[in-house]
This record gives sequence, structure tokens and C-alpha cells, in this order.
Amino acid sequence: MRRAIGLLSLALSAVLATASMSHAQAPKEVVIGAIYPLSGNLAQIGIDSITAMRMAVELYNGKSDLNLPGMKKTTEGLPGLGGAKIRLIVVDHQGKPDVGQAEAERLITQEKVTALIGAVFSSVSATTSQVAERYGVPHMNGESSSPTLTERGFKWFFRTSPHDGHFTLAMFEFLKDFEKKKGVKLKTVGLMHEDTLFGADSGKVQEELAKKYGYEVVVNMAYRAKTTSLDAEVGKLKAAAPDVFLPTSYTSDAVLYIKTAKTLEYVPRMLIAQNAGWVDPQFVAEMNKDIEGHITRSPFALDLQAKKPLIRQVNELFKKQKDNPGGRDISEAPARALTAFTVLVDAINRARSTSPEEIRKALVATNVPADQLLMPWTGVRFDEKGQNSGVRAILQQIQKGAYATVWPFDLAAADVIYPLPGFKDKK
Amino acid sequence: MTAEVLVQGLVSGLLMGFVYALIAAGLSLIFGLMEIVNFAHGEFLMGAMFATFWAWALLKLDPLVSLPLTVLLLALFGLLVYHGLIRWILGAPMLAQIFATFGLAIFLRAAAQALWGADFRLVKGPLVDGRISLAGIFIGLPQLVASVGALCAFGLLYWFIRKTETGLALQATSQDRQAAMLMGIDTQRMFALGWAIGAACVGAAGALLAMFFYIFPDVGATFALLAYVAVALGGFGNVPATLLAGVIVGIVEVLGGLLIAPALKYAVVFSLYLVVVLWRPQGLLGRF
Amino acid sequence: MPPVARWPVVRWTGAGTLLLLLLAFPLVFTQPHPRHVVITIFLFAMLAQAWNLLAGYCGQISLGHAVFFGAGAYTSTLLGKYFDLSPWIGMVVGAVVAVAVSQLIGYPVFRLRGHYFAIATIAVGEIVNTLMINWDWAGGARGLFVPIKRPDSLANLQFHQSKQNYYYIALGLLLLAFWITRKVEVSRMGYYLRAIREDQDAAASLGIPVAAYKQRAMALSAALTALGGSFYAQYILFIDPDSVFPTALSILICLVAVLGGIGTLWGPLIGAAILIPLGEWTRIYFGGTGKAVDLLIYGALIMLVSVIQPGGIMALAQRGRRRTG
Repeated sequence: MRRAIGLLSLALSAVLATASMSHAQAPKEVVIGAIYPLSGNLAQIGIDSITAMRMAVELYNGKSDLNLPGMKKTTEGLPGLGGAKIRLIVVDHQGKPDVGQAEAERLITQEKVTALIGAVFSSVSATTSQVAERYGVPHMNGESSSPTLTERGFKWFFRTSPHDGHFTLAMFEFLKDFEKKKGVKLKTVGLMHEDTLFGADSGKVQEELAKKYGYEVVVNMAYRAKTTSLDAEVGKLKAAAPDVFLPTSYTSDAVLYIKTAKTLEYVPRMLIAQNAGWVDPQFVAEMNKDIEGHITRSPFALDLQAKKPLIRQVNELFKKQKDNPGGRDISEAPARALTAFTVLVDAINRARSTSPEEIRKALVATNVPADQLLMPWTGVRFDEKGQNSGVRAILQQIQKGAYATVWPFDLAAADVIYPLPGFKDKK
Repeated sequence: MTAEVLVQGLVSGLLMGFVYALIAAGLSLIFGLMEIVNFAHGEFLMGAMFATFWAWALLKLDPLVSLPLTVLLLALFGLLVYHGLIRWILGAPMLAQIFATFGLAIFLRAAAQALWGADFRLVKGPLVDGRISLAGIFIGLPQLVASVGALCAFGLLYWFIRKTETGLALQATSQDRQAAMLMGIDTQRMFALGWAIGAACVGAAGALLAMFFYIFPDVGATFALLAYVAVALGGFGNVPATLLAGVIVGIVEVLGGLLIAPALKYAVVFSLYLVVVLWRPQGLLGRF
Repeated sequence: MPPVARWPVVRWTGAGTLLLLLLAFPLVFTQPHPRHVVITIFLFAMLAQAWNLLAGYCGQISLGHAVFFGAGAYTSTLLGKYFDLSPWIGMVVGAVVAVAVSQLIGYPVFRLRGHYFAIATIAVGEIVNTLMINWDWAGGARGLFVPIKRPDSLANLQFHQSKQNYYYIALGLLLLAFWITRKVEVSRMGYYLRAIREDQDAAASLGIPVAAYKQRAMALSAALTALGGSFYAQYILFIDPDSVFPTALSILICLVAVLGGIGTLWGPLIGAAILIPLGEWTRIYFGGTGKAVDLLIYGALIMLVSVIQPGGIMALAQRGRRRTG
């Protein structure tokens, strides 16, 4: 009798086990949580990024022949998961680390997401990644620039994009390359950065590297973000007169800077910006000839579409998205979000499972070749800290109202304009 | 730090100060009348700037041309806010009044984003552009016109309050509500008028700012902060004093940035405020 | 001494039942998110209660209270980071620092009245915020990570497995705030504070040491707020000037108290219980669109409430009865 019961329960558990196993083996959908800023100052970045990701979701859930990671297929859904479709849950962190933390937790525990992606703001990514680490859920990041994020020894945090260290390094490498190529000597640099996490990080790295590369920092100032006037700041710049000016500003402050510099007639010999405002396509459109000759580091270059048709294909699709009513070109923020997202989905697909540990292993094994990327990187391969080691920062210069890649010289589409034309010299 | 840089800073600060003063004037007027601090003042400014932008984008009207329109629009909006919200909280404790206008601020900011998105806008190619140079000092023409405009607005306001009957009634209500009522002045009408004029001032300031400043839903925040300080520095309820205070704020901002550090320039402004107000608790020229 | 209502049996039973429910909550709701919402309610109720002491009972409307919150958060975090001090000790030191700062601020600023005082507190808040952003040793704009210590422990005030202990600590802090407020309410200090609130000059002429009691109320308020700040740091494990020092936070604290009913014992809790879930709910259901619909609703509701019952919820409850709070 006891043996019968024993056998029966064994059989029952076997049946149940196989039932649950087979259930787990073919999930109907893969849920991904996206935590982005959808209100406040940087809302447009968040909105554009989500638009790009939704576009990717549609492509993954259908058939596509775009050569993005894991996207080229003739079946619907993710082949590695039996055709499971992706469902994207989007939340707004409002720029607050504690909101980001709460949302990350809610997404994991209540919405049962398989992975997280976000959050643009380094301060918010700091807390969301802590949550992911705690629960053991893969967290992808495509835009946050603070180097600290991958210095914490986290196992579950992966970043595809370069961070401030890479970018600033690129700036100084460029300066050295440029001096050599043109036989010009640049001795002094001036730093100006806005006072949130983004600017503070950037300023710190720039100061360190400037010293390391032997440049004298004649002025290093932080300014209040969204300030009402930059008269004092530009005044100081004029007084210090650095050869190279390195600003770090979001779009609105960048606009104010240009206008103030124009009024006060401040033109450094060279200006290299830390992304943000300077790569906002609206900024370029609005400022036009006033920023002719400005250089910015950029993780993404739209003009490389001449060499890489994939970029043009993605851009055309992006312009047609219904959440992009103005038909704007894809800019670096959504391009980075898209890249991170596709790397994540590709890993989930390769993992053939929604188990966090399997996905993590797949992420660690990631090796996306350069031709599947919108970015000018050599590929996506994560080092032991979760940072993509295939990154490459490029520098672009505004020439005749459009971005032109000017460095690395082997990728360059145009020559560097130097020195910066004065305001009255611009047509 | 050469003398030239300092003088340049002074001039820039002075010009900006006039604009701050105009923004603060509306706030001061409203407070003087009914002791309510309008925490949505920054959003009024933002609304005025957006109105100017849309007049330019849709009707091709230059900010200077559409200025009277914006002023009128804001005045009507001020009336709307008074009748729709403020009237109901007149007798409430100060805190509830803060609550109400703060809720309005959140609402307006969100509405702006919902309607027009978070992107920034810029009026391109305004009538007034470029700069002039006086003895080596650069003066941006839009900033110059803005300050002149602000001064004119102040002049108008002053004339209205001191020389017209309605203005005198307004003053009377602000000085002693009970006595004014006894004299037959319709205080409710005065309050509504005060809001309309206060909003109109901000409307003018917004139109002038839109000539050279970028526009987006959060733009009013920092301006509002400086306006509160300017009002308190000059003395709550004393409109001419806000002109002086606004200018002081503008100059201290630039000089603080040049001489101390740009990162701390607002801290300098606020510290100055604290120092003044501790020496004279009612503000430089305040009443009580 | 004027009568402050002793609690009738009904009130005690009501309060007792509520407490039991709150104690049982995490046992029933085991998901992190509902617990997080209630923890946030407790935190803000406590901050609002602390603020209430100064503003509601004493009539000094401070709009810069985030200074004390940040002081607590930063003190305990810096001590923990650089000197490996226990967060509990750090919390106490934080409260002491906050008290010291409050006395420094209060001494000059209490000479001001009404709106001048309010704007002065905003000015102080902004100054401190700016200084902290530029103070590199304390992390500056990049903020501070609270060093993560495993395993979970009460001694380290860090729990990663579940929020349960955070919940009870937050509840404990709230009860502390309640207890202190109640004690003040029925004491001579409470009487003096109310007198100062009603008419400062009359109180002075009656021989009440006005300045001294304002400072005391400020000190108490600051200390409690700082405790909340330290708790927040240990809960979120990351602080930066933007999350603990901004004027927006100061305003939020006073909104909570005003909604519930300023100058009343239960007001802060009621206010928090409404505003916090409201903010969460609107953000979760409406926030994902990028159209700021959630903030739209939030702002509209705040306006509506302020119009319908400016005295706060407690005033609604006490309509018809003489206000004793």
C-alpha cells in the first residue's frame, strides 16, 4: 500500500514536473521593462528612445531582414524561444533615483519582467541596477555615461555604450593626433560643465586627462544647470582665453551659451563638446551657422550611413514611426537605446530561455560584429565588469549645418576646420 | 580679471536685472493686494513665452509685434486663474494658498509638456538681433530692447497705480482692505484686476525674453526663484522697489559668478538676500 | 492651562486598531511594491509631522526643511563611508548636526515674519543645495553610494532580502514622531508654541520667551527630520543633492501636512496616506506615455483639494467643533 502511494506520488510529481518544465520551455511572451525619463527636462530623449525600442519590438515580433542583432529572420517572434513575442513595459522615472528604484522593483516583482533596460540618468541607473543586482535580473544600459556604474563589481549590469572615460580619452587623443597632423601647438584648455551628475562626472574626467596629457587647465567652472544667464561664465572664459574650450551642457544651456558667446564675441580656437546638447539634432537645426566648426564627441554618426547602409535603413524606418510625428532623423540617444535593446534581445534569444542565469551567460558570451551595429564600434563584447570593450568614440564637427565625422582620421569623412570661424566670418 | 570684463559683467547683469524686475513686479503687486504668493508665477512666464512662440510659429508675428497680444492673453489668463482658483482660497490660511498655487504650477507645467512636448523652442530670426558695441562693451540688442521694454512697463505700471483712479483704488485696497471697502471700493474687483495686471507684467516679460531665450515647459523655475527673492529683497507689496531689487539681483548674479565662482552665483544672490533682510526685516523698502 | 482634549476611549481604540493593522500589513502584503508605498507614506508622514511641530503648532512656515533631511542623510552616509560608523550612531549624529544647523539658521532668520521668513528659508535651502553640489569631498553632484554591506543586518541598517524590517523601522520612526508631537501638544511647551503662533507679540508681552521656544521647536523639528533623512539613505542606498536637498522636497513635505491638516496630530499621516499613493498611482497608470498626464492629474487634484477644503482633511473632520489642535 505504502509503495503504491509512493509510486503514485512519484508519477504525479514527474507529470507535474514535466508539465511545468514544458510550460517554462515555451513562454508565450518575453516581458522587458524599460525605465526612462518621460517627463521633465530630458523627456524628449526618453520619448525618442522608447520610440526606437518599440520599433525594434515590432520588427522582432514580425519578420525582418534588417541586419541588427538577432533580427534577421523569416519567422515571427524570437526563434530561440519558440516564437515568443516581446512585450515592452515602459515606465517614467521622472529623473529621480528613488522612483527608479521603486519602479525597477515593481517591474521585477509584480510585472515579472525578464530583463530591465534603462535609465539614461546615471543617478537613476545607479539605483535601478542595485535592484537588478539584488534580485538577479539582467539590466542593460545603453546611455549612462558615469564610469562608476561598471566599477561596482556588479554581475547583472551590462553597458553597451562608452562612458565618460572613453569619450574624454577620445577628445585628448584627437588633440594629440591633430597637433601632430597639422603642426599646431595647443597649450591651454578651459572647462565648463553643468552641475548635475552628468556635468560633474565629465568635468572630473576632463580635468584628470588634461593634466595627464600635459595641457594647462586655465579655467574650470561648474555652472548651475538651467541657469538664466551665462554672462559671468562667458566673461570668465574671455578673461582666461583657453586655446581649447570643452563645454558639457544639455541642449537648453548650450543654446544660451551660443547666444551669449555671440553677443560677447567669445570664440575659442577650438571647441570640443561633451555630447548632450551638441548632438541634439534640433540644436543643430536651430543654431545653424553659429555653431559652424564646433566639435563634439559622439557615440553615433548619422553621416556614416554612406558607408553603412544599415544606418540608412534604420533611419528611414525611424522617421516613419507614428510616435515621431516630425519625421526626425534618429539621433544618438535613440540610436544608443536601440543598440542596447537589440543586444539584450539577441542575448535572450541565444539563451533560449527566460531564466535570468541563462540570459546572463548569453550576455557574457555576446560577440556582436561591427556590421550589425548602428554604432561605429568594433563590436559588442562585454568585459568582466559588464562594460562593452568594443566601443569607439568618434568626434564629429558641424560643417555647413551637418555633422561630419572628423576623427578617427581613418574613419573621417571630412577634414577638420581650424581655427573656429568668428561669428562675423560665418555666412 | 580685468576692469573690462567686470564692466561688461555689470552691464550684462544690469540688463538682465530689468527683466528679473519685471517678472517680480507682478508677484509683488499680487502680494501687496491680497497677501498671496503666487507659486505658479514661473509657469505664467513660461505660458507667456510659449504664447509668443506660437504667435511667431503660426502667425509669423515677431515677439515685439505680438507683445501686446501676449500681454492681453496673460491678463485674461490672470483673471481666469483668479476667478477659477484664487477667489476660493482668499480666506484660507497661508499654507493652503501655497498649496493651491503650487498645484497650479504642477498642472501648468505638465499641461505644457502634454500639449507641446518637452523639446525646447526658439524664435528664429527675430526682428531684434545682433549686438552693438559701446566703448568696447558689448550689448546684445535683444537684451537691450528687453530692458528698455521692462523699464517702459514699469513706467506704465507706476503711472497707472499713482495717477489713475483705478490705480489709486488698487493702492487703497492694498494698504487697508477694510477702509477701502468702507469707501465703496469693490475689493473683489480690485483683486481680480491685480491678478490681471500681475499676469500682464509677466506676459510682457515673457514676450521680451522669448526674443533671445529658449522656451520649454520647465523654463520658469529658476526665473521664479529669483523673482521671489527680488520681491522679498525690495519689500513685499512695494512695486517700485522690485525694480531696484531686480537690478541688484541681476548684477550680483554676474559679479558673484565672475568674482567668486559661476557655480556659486545663485548662492551669492541668496546670501545677499539673507544679509539684507536680516538688517532690514521688511526688505529694502518694504512697508511694515 | 487651556484644555487640550484628552483622548476619549473611542480614539484610543481607533488608534490601537490602526496600529494593529499597520503592524500586520507586511505579513499580509508580501510584495515589495505595496510595502514600498507604505514605507514612503510613513517617511513622509513623519517628515510632515516634524515640520508640523514648527509650522503647524508654532506658526513658523519653513519652506526649506529639506536642509535637515539632507543633513541627516549626508551625515550618516559620510560617517559610514569614511569612518565605518554604524548608521544608527550616524543617525543620532545626523540629528545633532541638524539641530546645530537649525540653531544657526534660526538665530538670524527667526527675526523675520510671515512671507519673509518663508522666502528666507527657501534661500537657505537653495544655498545649502548649491554648496553641497560643489562640495567634492561629500560627493558633490555625483552623489554618494552607501557602502553595501551583506548579509542583511539590523546593526548595519541594511536589508536586501526583504523590506519587512525597513517597514517596521519606518513605522517606529513615525510612532516616535507621533509620541513627541503628542507630548509637546499637551505640555507647557505646546501651550507656549500655540500662543506664539496666534500672536507673537502678545505672547512676548505675557512673558513667554518667544525666541527661545521658537528655537526649541526648530531643534525638535530638525532632529526628527534628520532621522528621516538617515533612514532614507539606508533605504535607497544612494543620495545626491538633487534627491535630498531640493526645494521641491521641502514643498512636498509641507503639502503633505497642509493636505492633512496643519497643526493637528493626525493631519500629517492623513495627508501622506492620500498624496503618496496618489503620486504613485498616477505615475504608474499614466506616466508611461511621456505626456505627463500623471502630473496633470496630480496638480489638478491638489488644486481641487485646496479649494474644497483649505483647512485640510482634519478641518473637514472637525467642522462644527472648536479646534483645539
